[in-house]
Amino acid sequence: MPEVQKSKNRIVIPSSQDYLVEVDRFLETRLKEAGMNESDLADVAISVSEAVNNAIFHGNKCDLKKKITVRVKVESGTVEVQVEDQGRGFDLSEIPNPVEGDNLLKQVGRGIFIIKSLMDRLDFSFAPEGGTILKMYKSFQTTRRSSSSEAGLPLAE
Amino acid sequence: MKLSSHQVGDVAVLEPKGKIMGGPDATLLHDHLHDLIKENKKNVVIDLAKVDWMNSTGLGILISGLTTLRNNGGELKLANVTEKIESLLTITKLITVFENYDSVEEAVGSF
Repeated sequence: MPEVQKSKNRIVIPSSQDYLVEVDRFLETRLKEAGMNESDLADVAISVSEAVNNAIFHGNKCDLKKKITVRVKVESGTVEVQVEDQGRGFDLSEIPNPVEGDNLLKQVGRGIFIIKSLMDRLDFSFAPEGGTILKMYKSFQTTRRSSSSEAGLPLAE
Repeated sequence: MKLSSHQVGDVAVLEPKGKIMGGPDATLLHDHLHDLIKENKKNVVIDLAKVDWMNSTGLGILISGLTTLRNNGGELKLANVTEKIESLLTITKLITVFENYDSVEEAVGSF
């Protein structure tokens, strides 16, 4: 079985940062195809890299046997990205505010804060049998007409 | 991400290129910064002109470099911060922590 499984709207990777570039390439290809502009694409790419890093370290605890699945859905000028791990979940209320006091100079702890700032909305869900699913959404303006009507624009004449 | 560096007087100038998102590439920048500290090169400018974006891992590396250099009597300054990275520095309030300049020449000249 290959280490990375990929289809048009989904990529599955082992829990290692070695695969971050692979996820980024997958995302960039998919979102450029949908006509997303460079600035919004960077916001989504940064957010997904944060979510995947969290899934690797905090969710799957770098266990290479556990997988991370990233799914992308583009519909009517909105992208939804879902990042799913196989970990034990976490308590959102325990995440300290990274811009307060001594936290400002900490090397870690900004991931969720950055995602909240760059995306329009994010939802967490925790499966009873284990695994965290983070869904994040962003609406965007296209830079050009996309190759299909998925971005909510008329098809090219 | 790719990384090149050169020396201007006693200031080391690092030029990362691409995206800083974690993993082997980010380790390269972290290790290079800490090698400079071991070599007693305390004044560092990071030229961000060719960095498309970075995430919190990249910001963490900048903070680690800054605090280690300051603890050794040095400083880390930023040059050519792109709009996307400036936005991240603003969101995270790290804009108040780093000195940043419009050009490498200005950053080097500020030491």
